[in-house]
Amino acid sequence: MSPRRISRREFLAGLGATGVVAAAGGYGITTWAGHDSRASPTSRPATGAGGAVPPRTLVLLELAGGNDALNMVIPRDPAYRTLRPTLGVTDPIELDGAIGLSPKLTTLAQQYRSGRLAIVEGIGVPNPNLSHFASLQRWWTADPDLHTPTGWIGRYLDRAVGTGDPVAGVAIGPGPSPVLSGAVSFATAISDARGLQPARIDADVRDALLASWADLVPAHPEPDLLGVLQRAIGETLDARGRISRDLGTATAPNAASPSGSAAAAGSANALADALDLAARLAGSPDHPRVIHVHVDGDYDTHAAEAERHPALMTELDAAVDRFIKTLDSVHASDRVVLATMSEFGRRVAENGSGTDHGTAAAHFVLGAPVRGGRHGDPPSLTKLDPNGNLVMTIDYRDYDAALLEWLDPTADTEAILGKRSPLPHLFT
Amino acid sequence: MSVSERERVAHVLRRLSMGVQPDLAASMASAGGAITRALDMSGPVAVPPPLPSVAAADKPKPRAELLRMTGALAWWFARMASPEQMIAERLIWFWTDHFAINMQKVRSADLVWQYHATIRQHATGSFAELLHGVAKSGAMLVFLDGIQNSVHERNENFAREVMELHTLGRDQYSQADIVAASRSFTGWLARLPYSPATERSAPAATPEFGSYLLERRHDDGTKTLLGATGDFDLDRALDVILSQPATARFIAAKLYRALVGLTPDPATVDALASGFRSNWSITELVHAIVARPDLVADAAVRTIARSPLEKLVGLAEATGTAHVKVGPALTALRTLGYLPFFAPNPAGYPSGPALYGPQQLVHAFDLAFAVDSVVPGPAPDVLARFGVFDASTTTRDLVDRTSNARQRTLLALGSPEFCLR
Repeated sequence: MSPRRISRREFLAGLGATGVVAAAGGYGITTWAGHDSRASPTSRPATGAGGAVPPRTLVLLELAGGNDALNMVIPRDPAYRTLRPTLGVTDPIELDGAIGLSPKLTTLAQQYRSGRLAIVEGIGVPNPNLSHFASLQRWWTADPDLHTPTGWIGRYLDRAVGTGDPVAGVAIGPGPSPVLSGAVSFATAISDARGLQPARIDADVRDALLASWADLVPAHPEPDLLGVLQRAIGETLDARGRISRDLGTATAPNAASPSGSAAAAGSANALADALDLAARLAGSPDHPRVIHVHVDGDYDTHAAEAERHPALMTELDAAVDRFIKTLDSVHASDRVVLATMSEFGRRVAENGSGTDHGTAAAHFVLGAPVRGGRHGDPPSLTKLDPNGNLVMTIDYRDYDAALLEWLDPTADTEAILGKRSPLPHLFT
Repeated sequence: MSVSERERVAHVLRRLSMGVQPDLAASMASAGGAITRALDMSGPVAVPPPLPSVAAADKPKPRAELLRMTGALAWWFARMASPEQMIAERLIWFWTDHFAINMQKVRSADLVWQYHATIRQHATGSFAELLHGVAKSGAMLVFLDGIQNSVHERNENFAREVMELHTLGRDQYSQADIVAASRSFTGWLARLPYSPATERSAPAATPEFGSYLLERRHDDGTKTLLGATGDFDLDRALDVILSQPATARFIAAKLYRALVGLTPDPATVDALASGFRSNWSITELVHAIVARPDLVADAAVRTIARSPLEKLVGLAEATGTAHVKVGPALTALRTLGYLPFFAPNPAGYPSGPALYGPQQLVHAFDLAFAVDSVVPGPAPDVLARFGVFDASTTTRDLVDRTSNARQRTLLALGSPEFCLR
């Protein structure tokens, strides 16, 4: 039904990148930043060669709002009880006498004991800015100076995949993910198990529409920017077909997922739905290399933290449990890793009913390829910065670099993240 | 591509307005006439409606605040589709993108709507006044951490962005200039009813959400900024930045690209910038740009990716929807990463290829739920309603043979032609 189409990469190569720059109105090959002078139009094509890229998937989980990692990974330190007189977790799941986990994290504790969970303490951004927005941008771009408009995964995809594969990076969440945005690659975003589907259109209308839409792609696209758009529609339909096939939703977008549960229809735990979806995609034949999961959570616990943070931990643990089970069911456990990120940790001292914006935090890296246990150095709870925040012990880019080197040992880490010292021993 | 005169008229209208202006596109005799019509500002000037008020006790929540702006946004969308003050609405969006903010950080709808009024007031007037006005707007002071910037604890965020993004462009200043500018900018605060500290320190005459200079937070020492030395404050520092030739060049080139859709050569930039610097008149700069043959040349046609917002406006015009349904519109724009006042970063909204990735193309169909009707009539009229006259035979044939009116409308919305402008 779908004729062989020249990919956009081939088309770009034929036209020459400069031709496209001119055709695109001088905006260059732009990015989510929309900032032409910053974007470097490297139309580097997919290498394809090299060949040695292992079939791995990195799932990046963003805990939006600034997770209070001190109430997730609890230090056994008198200073903690002093600074957290009412909010401090008093009944952690003990791990090793020095730290414990939130009592809600039973699945994660079990994973820790079975050696599949790495707890990395003290990850932070140099010269921290306590704004959500500025901090998130630093995490997304891996550039603390914010001179880089692309996301760090996007830069990886630019080099490793180029323009040819729109499902190499997939965002699961409400919209495009800046961490996946590259200069030439573009990532696909889906909001739920319906995949790359227009919202709110009845299935029969949608199928007829998309079938017709395919007919808008001519056998011989125009030689100008219109032709680029014609091909983009073709690629989009290809991406949609692949995602639908991978998710088994080609004919019944709202049917139950292969893993059985009410995932596709949506359950009460949106994070679990999203991680279930991530696991199914990661287990599919042409799985994405990176999946970024971001649901509307609210980790910004300035107030009412005593109720809210345990609820968030419960949700997280249930979501991880579902992720692990789905990964097992699609036989992908040995090649998928989940890693958390969050714009910042929270202030060590409580503010009365919650905690304010902080700096360094502990993060989880989960999966069979992970060397479980504790990594990094726990920041001091007594030697704080002038704002009363933790002083980081690991530069977040070294964390990124370790994840990247696992994901693709052939990746040019220095070109993507600068000269880094990847956090060692994180993987087996 | 050879361009028909009808397409050229439509091209001018979609560059100089926010939408497609289907009635004018079908009726104007020439591209020159369309330019004159689009630049005509003799009609009534729109005044933004007030926001519904709320109790100001709590720190505002961005999502609730956005919902409080529903009526305001409906009004704005209608302005964008209006055949009056077309160039003003094009410029208002241009500056909204140029001076981008994000409500996740700004939070308050009052701050945002006041900032919008400032942009609206100066969008076609003096760039210098626009720059000063936005720099002192509570929204920008909050968004780029101006309110954190004091003689005791300097914050360089606004100083860096105002030079890099709003005026000079990258590589036109040093770190020492950033320090000097940020020192000059110290001490400005916004009076926020939910912030007891600002309620205490604001002079009595300061309106709610208005900004003010708190002298004790200001660094009144001598600074050397871009070669000039003095005890600069915010206004004088901005004037120093404006006096740099790079500022006029940066703005003139950017506006040229936005209107013409091509990159200007250096001589063109020089010519535009030297006129612009003399009085900072944005309207005169627009006239200087469109007076060149470039805008109506074949090479300029359909060279810009149409943004989700421009698709929404065009769709509303095509279907004759007087009142866009704001809820579905915001849902779709959020999915598409193009929610007004929620710029993904201080550099503004996505453009170029980022606007035709799979997510963008598929979810453009979501915009159809913000309008309440289909384009009636036989197929050629449907594409014309979308401002598309020179369509590929593939597009033309498909729309022609699609009998279902809803389907025809959706296909025109999803056509490669409509993805460009």
